[in-house]
Amino acid sequence: MKEVILSVKDLKTYFFTKRGVVRAVDGVSFDLVKGECLCLVGESGCGKTVTALSILGLIDSPPGRIVGGEIFYDSTDLTKSSAERLRHIRGKEIAMIFQDAQSALNPVFTIGDQIEEQIKLHLKVSQRRAKNRAINLLKEVGIPSPEEVASYYPHQLSGGMRQRAMIAMGLSCDPQLLIADEPTTAVDVTIKAQIIDIFRRLKESRKMSLLFITHELGIVSEIGDEIVVMYAGKVAETAPAAELLKNPKHPYTSGLIKCLPDITKEKERLESIPGTVPSLIDPPGGCLFHPRCKRAMAICRKEEPPPVVISRGHTVFCHLY
Amino acid sequence: MTKKGIKRLAGKVGGIKNLILIPLAALWLLTLLLDIFVVEKIFDPLGYLYIAIGIVALLYVVWPLYTGRRLVQYYWQRVKRNRLAVAGLAFILFLILLALIGPLFTPDPTAANFEEKNMPPVGFSIEESVYKAETGQFITKTTSGSWEHPLGTDDKGRDLLAMIISGAGVSLQVGLLATGIAVALGTLIGVVSAYLGGKVDNILMRLTDIMMTFPFFLLLVFIIFIFGPSLAFIVLVIGLTGWTGTARLIRSETLSLRTREFILAAKALGASDGRIVLAHLIPNVVSLIVVIATLSIPGVILAEAALSFIGLGDPSVTSWGMILRAGQQSLDITWWVAVMPGVMLFLTVLAFNFVGDGLRDAFDPRSSV
Repeated sequence: MKEVILSVKDLKTYFFTKRGVVRAVDGVSFDLVKGECLCLVGESGCGKTVTALSILGLIDSPPGRIVGGEIFYDSTDLTKSSAERLRHIRGKEIAMIFQDAQSALNPVFTIGDQIEEQIKLHLKVSQRRAKNRAINLLKEVGIPSPEEVASYYPHQLSGGMRQRAMIAMGLSCDPQLLIADEPTTAVDVTIKAQIIDIFRRLKESRKMSLLFITHELGIVSEIGDEIVVMYAGKVAETAPAAELLKNPKHPYTSGLIKCLPDITKEKERLESIPGTVPSLIDPPGGCLFHPRCKRAMAICRKEEPPPVVISRGHTVFCHLY
Repeated sequence: MTKKGIKRLAGKVGGIKNLILIPLAALWLLTLLLDIFVVEKIFDPLGYLYIAIGIVALLYVVWPLYTGRRLVQYYWQRVKRNRLAVAGLAFILFLILLALIGPLFTPDPTAANFEEKNMPPVGFSIEESVYKAETGQFITKTTSGSWEHPLGTDDKGRDLLAMIISGAGVSLQVGLLATGIAVALGTLIGVVSAYLGGKVDNILMRLTDIMMTFPFFLLLVFIIFIFGPSLAFIVLVIGLTGWTGTARLIRSETLSLRTREFILAAKALGASDGRIVLAHLIPNVVSLIVVIATLSIPGVILAEAALSFIGLGDPSVTSWGMILRAGQQSLDITWWVAVMPGVMLFLTVLAFNFVGDGLRDAFDPRSSV
């Protein structure tokens, strides 16, 4: 029996702005199995980051608020937990790392200081222990000469190094669950491969669960066990990684896959999905994807698609099936 | 003790910093308790304040400067290119030295000696009509300055150099302490206001507005009139009313800082609000704080001088404003009495302004200094 570590049920996070209600996350559900990697995939503005921030209770209020749904972590509902309880969970149980390590690290402290501070925040250890731990963490994420790097300021490191330092910081208190918000977006391709390798290794060695947010399906195929494709704040399709990449059902998913360059085909123009994610203040009726969908039908404009189970673990929200 | 032993001990109490802080604080407290319950007057109350400030400064100014030598050196390189700032810094250091060791070599600035009144500075001489009792006539007497009183004496025969040195101490004390209180308060209010936002921000900023609209000098005069003039009180009042500008500047800087991702990252990793304010926001505005503090010292010094000048200063200490007041009554004959403190005030204010400007340019990454 697989143990579910994080279960999001019908999560709704809205932002109440002057121009109207933005339904950034509108009824998202997924289960993350312990020790596995779940990937949230979608274009910019699909609500992936808002989902992650909702899990940690970091939605700025006002204007944002979780208006419905439940987030179960270890059989506690995080949406109903006190601020104090959430603060203890953040960093110790669930850690989050960010896209741009340059701006996510405090510029006025050294890498070592920041990691040590993080360790001492949650674990009662001496200064010396904290320091050793910080250096071991830096070593674990593949930083050469960690003692030296610990004394550097963020601006003295290269992008890849900074990202690793950020990961080390996220790992500092042995979290059960690591949320990675597009950790490979701000680094170049070779570093990207190394960073993904680190995540894969961490998943194996620490038996850690990963919630990986990305817009690159290439990465998903490398690391993901489960994939949740999000579109405009809703789930479009969920499936095990291999199944989804081989057998995408939702037109949006197949569109995303076609956007990937294929090394076996020569000189072929990449396909793109026309248009952009719709305004979430005034969303189109029916299926949110219909204005951009090549296979849209009359029903798509009127009715929201119900979940359709394709196979075990593979669900799609589309009228086609 | 071996180096390793020190390190182990430091690790236990959370860093070498605490290792130094704890015994010093304990010693300070012990002396204070001894003073209160057993012996009378080891130091005076202000003395305790200074020692406490000294300990804090050692840990939070000298220690970080030492550990951040590389950074200090970098900024020093930038400040160094501004000649005026270096000159200003040299003058301030000279003033501090003067205030610290000057009193050891000069006579009591309050001791009147009517035999030697109205002596001009060295190299100057004045002619005075003196009534001679024996002849019953006015004769013209020429008095020249002597090295005994290098800057001359005032109409009560007090040594002007000693008075100026005493005044330097007063001005620096007032300037540094009052600015310290004002900037600390302003920083805290500004950062908290910007970070918490919403209602708290509104309340704190309206409070700042009200404080700003209050005629500060009038308030000062009023409070001193009621409670009586004492230097500690003047410092406190200037400090408690002078934080408004700092609060606004720090708030606007923090507003842009709080939206930066590292604040969100710190939250995502479980930092509390207090921790974010103290450990993430304030260290990021330190350069601004240093500049604001340096540039607001002159205003405070002038405020104290102005108070003393209109006779509301602490009568038990000799400050520059007080000398000015004494001198302006006989500006036509004993001009030096008013000119000397005037020049010192002028130079001090200028020096702090130059240093402040130099620091601002050095901290500004956009400037090419």
